[in-house]
Amino acid sequence: MSQFPRSEAAIAGIGCTEFSKDSGVSVFTLAARAVKAAIGDAGLHVRDIDGLATFGTNDSIGPNFLAPALGVKNLNFYLNQFLGGSVSMSVVGQAALAVSAGIADCIVCYRALNGRSGQRLSGAGAYTQRPPWDIQFKASTGYVVPAQEIAMAARAHMIRYGTTNEDLGELALLSRRHAMDNERAMMRKPLTMEDYLASRWIVEPFHLFDCCLETDGAVAVVVVSSERAKDLPHRPVHVRAAAWGGGVNIVNNGTTDLSDSPARPMAHKLYSTAGLGPSDMDFAELYDCFTYTLLSQIEGFGLSQPGEVPAMLADGAFGRGTGSTPVNTHGGLLSEGYIHGMNHVFEAVQQIRGDAGHRQVDRHDVALVTGQLGYVSGYSSALVLEGA
Amino acid sequence: MADMRVLPLPDQDSEHYWAALANGRLEVQQCRECSRWTWPARPICSNCQSENLAWRRVSGLGEVHSWVRTHNVYAPAFASLVPYITVLVRLEEQDDILIPGRFLSDVEPHQGMRVRAVPERLTDELGELNWVMDPSQPVAPASA
Repeated sequence: MSQFPRSEAAIAGIGCTEFSKDSGVSVFTLAARAVKAAIGDAGLHVRDIDGLATFGTNDSIGPNFLAPALGVKNLNFYLNQFLGGSVSMSVVGQAALAVSAGIADCIVCYRALNGRSGQRLSGAGAYTQRPPWDIQFKASTGYVVPAQEIAMAARAHMIRYGTTNEDLGELALLSRRHAMDNERAMMRKPLTMEDYLASRWIVEPFHLFDCCLETDGAVAVVVVSSERAKDLPHRPVHVRAAAWGGGVNIVNNGTTDLSDSPARPMAHKLYSTAGLGPSDMDFAELYDCFTYTLLSQIEGFGLSQPGEVPAMLADGAFGRGTGSTPVNTHGGLLSEGYIHGMNHVFEAVQQIRGDAGHRQVDRHDVALVTGQLGYVSGYSSALVLEGA
Repeated sequence: MADMRVLPLPDQDSEHYWAALANGRLEVQQCRECSRWTWPARPICSNCQSENLAWRRVSGLGEVHSWVRTHNVYAPAFASLVPYITVLVRLEEQDDILIPGRFLSDVEPHQGMRVRAVPERLTDELGELNWVMDPSQPVAPASA
């Protein structure tokens, strides 16, 4: 089984740009600003960086361009992982591995995109170059974006468990409540169930407010050895466990019921690697490209039994200040912004440090942070972060 | 209109699939060694790793596992189609083969609804796969 080097690497710095609909600057600029902010937050200098890691399918800028622009001449580690939110936490996991193995000292993981003013995912059906292999079996029929594939899974869950649009709406409302006092969040106005139900259909059963934002912005986090992190300004945030890998997807043969959470096998691997279980998680930042992925991960990562999320929501189980396991304390991709999951890492680190201000949760030592749970690509990734 | 559509982009492994659809047939690969079916078109059997795969015409029958109705326009070619229904169909031949396609019948689908493949010719080499409710099949209740 997994022999991930538990807590040998730590996140020592975090940085971000403003999250907006129109940054007015290049993706390159956003990446550089977030990396500089993160390295400064860590009490380090750009000259200390010897690794850069990112991922993406649409707007992005690779380490090969960013490193020379920053004046970093000697990279010991680079990663430009293809794919989207499903691999977001694997980038941090791979950086932690590299640092633990001693092949690099200071790796900055970043994600920068003009996701609203540049290449929008909602325009993803119009290919300008040859798309990934699997798209040929979907695109011509008009089945082309994650919204559709994940709505398909949400429908299957509705059929099996009686889940309703109001149940999904409660997750949108929860995220909005958490975003309202988050100075970084793009959406801070109150959202009511009436607003949710009146919002236009995107892909039934998803309304507009079931879908995450499209965002211009960047986030970066600095990964160093836990030994080195002790001497840096902030409370070290250990990468206690990281897990990533494959599940099954529509083209892998093996998916027989879409209502099953694809997060379940990843959760098993992650928790056994961490030596912890769901009840040990003080809070969770879950990849919420859609309300349903939030629901499916609450189930898959064992924070509820299948079909029990609506009743637990009614009891406030996932609320900041009310819940046993607050979820998406910043408002998530649904209401804070869509930085492809790296903003979840930023928030988790801020919470673990105790620096989250009005948003600070009471118990904040151990966080579950996840990437997209396995729809579309079949891959997923997740972290357990822990304060030293 | 075919010229307004997004055309499939075949590769060496899938060109047979698209050409068969253009000629009105749904064909799926079956392994000559272990008999497992493989969809979509790939060069190797994911069960026994054999490259000895045969193209076989299948029943074209299946049942709806899930469905969505798309309102948003994800590419200009789809503007005249919205809102349209996509069904995910469990193929009769094997329960882990789930094939998406547009649903052309003028009723709302439901899980368990029996459906039939309706290939559509786009060009001489390229076809598209749509689905319709199959009136010759017993229809399962909506709660199935």
